[in-house]
Amino acid sequence: MKITRLNNRAAAFLIGPALTAMFVVHLIPIFFGIIMAFLRIDVSNLSDFPRVPFIGFDNFKYLFTDGSGVGQRFLSSIGNVLIYGLVTIPVGYVIALAVAMLLNREFKGRTIVRGLILLPYITPDAVMYNVWRFIFQSRVGIVNSILSGLGLIREPIIWLVGDNALIAVIVASIWKGWPFTSLMLLAALQTIPQDLYEAARLDNASWFQRLRYVTLPMLWPVSRTLLMLSVIWNFHAFNQFYVMLGADTASKAAVPSVVILREAFGTLHFGSGSAMAVIMLAIILLLTAIAVFTKRERSVE
Amino acid sequence: MKKLTWLAVALLAMVLLAGCKGKAADAGADSRLGGEITFWLMPNAPDETHNPWLSAKAAAFERETGVKVNFEVVGWGDAWTKISTAIATGEGVDVFQVGTTWNPQFAATGGLAKIDMNQFGGSSSFMAANLASTSYKNEYYGVPWFAETRALYYNKTMFAEAGVTPPTSYAELYEVSARIIDKFGSGSAIAIAGTSAWDLLHNWAIILWANGGKLTDAGRAAFNGPAGVEALSWYLGLLERGYAANACAEYNQPQADSAFINGNVAMCFMGPWNVANIDQENPTLQYGVVEPPAGSAGKASFSGGSNLVVLEGSRNKAAALAWIEYLVSDSSMIEYTKTLTHMMPATLSAYNDSYYQSGIWKIFKDTLSYATAYLPLGVWGDIENAIVNEFKASITDAIGGRSDQAAVRAHLDAAADMVNAALAKEK
Repeated sequence: MKITRLNNRAAAFLIGPALTAMFVVHLIPIFFGIIMAFLRIDVSNLSDFPRVPFIGFDNFKYLFTDGSGVGQRFLSSIGNVLIYGLVTIPVGYVIALAVAMLLNREFKGRTIVRGLILLPYITPDAVMYNVWRFIFQSRVGIVNSILSGLGLIREPIIWLVGDNALIAVIVASIWKGWPFTSLMLLAALQTIPQDLYEAARLDNASWFQRLRYVTLPMLWPVSRTLLMLSVIWNFHAFNQFYVMLGADTASKAAVPSVVILREAFGTLHFGSGSAMAVIMLAIILLLTAIAVFTKRERSVE
Repeated sequence: MKKLTWLAVALLAMVLLAGCKGKAADAGADSRLGGEITFWLMPNAPDETHNPWLSAKAAAFERETGVKVNFEVVGWGDAWTKISTAIATGEGVDVFQVGTTWNPQFAATGGLAKIDMNQFGGSSSFMAANLASTSYKNEYYGVPWFAETRALYYNKTMFAEAGVTPPTSYAELYEVSARIIDKFGSGSAIAIAGTSAWDLLHNWAIILWANGGKLTDAGRAAFNGPAGVEALSWYLGLLERGYAANACAEYNQPQADSAFINGNVAMCFMGPWNVANIDQENPTLQYGVVEPPAGSAGKASFSGGSNLVVLEGSRNKAAALAWIEYLVSDSSMIEYTKTLTHMMPATLSAYNDSYYQSGIWKIFKDTLSYATAYLPLGVWGDIENAIVNEFKASITDAIGGRSDQAAVRAHLDAAADMVNAALAKEK
């Protein structure tokens, strides 16, 4: 009894700062962000900020009726980020799983390799994506020199403009993201009891069958969480696009965060920018709710 | 998203703080100067020379007036957000530098103080286009500081080897380019900015104007007529004909500049500040500068540069204005432009200095004499965005081999619709 109370107090003491920080840096701004989506605040009255009028859903209506085409750009950016996620998440997962399974075996220097694979993940985004921008540059980039060295291309390919831009960002993002997934999967792999594999072997299960009927089901709880996190992260992908392609909202690889940044902070239409941010928030909340809800269903099972 | 959240936090935190303090101190400003002011400016010169100069000027100003100036150099990339935060909160800074195209937009927010030009020698003492950039609805909201424009730099060695002379018209520039790529290979004639350039419109507008086109006419978009199609096709033609390398499609302006400065290409439209880059990076480069080529309607150039403005919420406006007066005075102006920034003065009297009567400085001075500024509109940001977005889409078409007159026309029409929507919102 006494210990529990002590534990509770200790827990409150330890969680307190994190809760406060979350409240101050996340919840309050989100709250104000939502309010701003319902205010008429744009370039014509920015200096009156605290006293601007409330206009209901006009900012949302504006997005899709205004001739500036901001709503269309926003919708196509959501399309872009969906394609981006649909490629990045599965490919990243397959690479991560393969590496995790390799690293789960005994071999000399395993610990060092495990540490090394984290390198892409721990390098700062701004640094790494700048490096990738150089890698994909058409004139001096290493991708084009390798391709032309192999005789695969005659003219240098323009990677960072047009249809190829999304490919370039996807490659860089997969490279940057898989180590984290791999680390999680490796931890999960280590918790799978070996007797399950032995039992499978006794039943003459092939390698593929062991993967299909033992490994993947046992990894599912972790995989599901990873999937949920990846979907959320991919939806507000910003760094990779901003660093590699700039804040170009006309780009065929423009993503919602960039469109919002441009609208709110670039042309000072904070109302309509916030409205788009609120739509994004709603989509992400919905996805998260679905993920959490299906999780509960399964655990009932 | 995370970045956006942080920016929102900053904005809101400052609003809350501003709310607490109120505006009671406003009345305190009297005729006697004193106190402190905060001054934000951009890295107009390398830090090693810029910061000592600013410190010395601030110290001299303090001795003269008793006003302490706290200056802070802010990168162009951060400046826009920092300034909009200051405008939303009404504090944080007293005097700051804005790009000429920013001035009307910030004036429209109501966050900039009105300026009485008589304090600065009257409106006739400034370059006309720079003065125009400080205006919004027939009032002045800034003081022109320095001017810039782009002219045509050419590589004398490459020109001599190819046996050509600097072009004086856009048609001639094509002919010269053809001769140069015959000699030096595809993509060697000119470096141009592509989709990474935020300042793409400046490069295109001068071709449009030289062809007799206009960006807007009587409150409607006017750039999608024949002159606009011709101007945009000409720019894309540089890529399609191999005069500029396809790689230019992904360049920003500094990357294009570097290609010229390194001696890889024979021509580039660059500004006076690039002289400093050449001195530093490739001092042996044999180059010359000529005025931008003429189109069917004559010569045209873009007037850019920076103005100094005062925050409406400033509690020490008198000191802020005095500091601006000090910076645009002939002696400060000539030092700042001639020895530090290699920009051009925006005050007419500074040109009496013999430095501007010869060499490339005379070329830039002459180019500025017919330079045009964009319309001073609050919605200018939307207008520039719309045109630049479609411009970038055209560049993407061109390098994909999908561009023709009809496609160019369609992009310009799409931009014109968006510009008209923006113009309708200008109050």
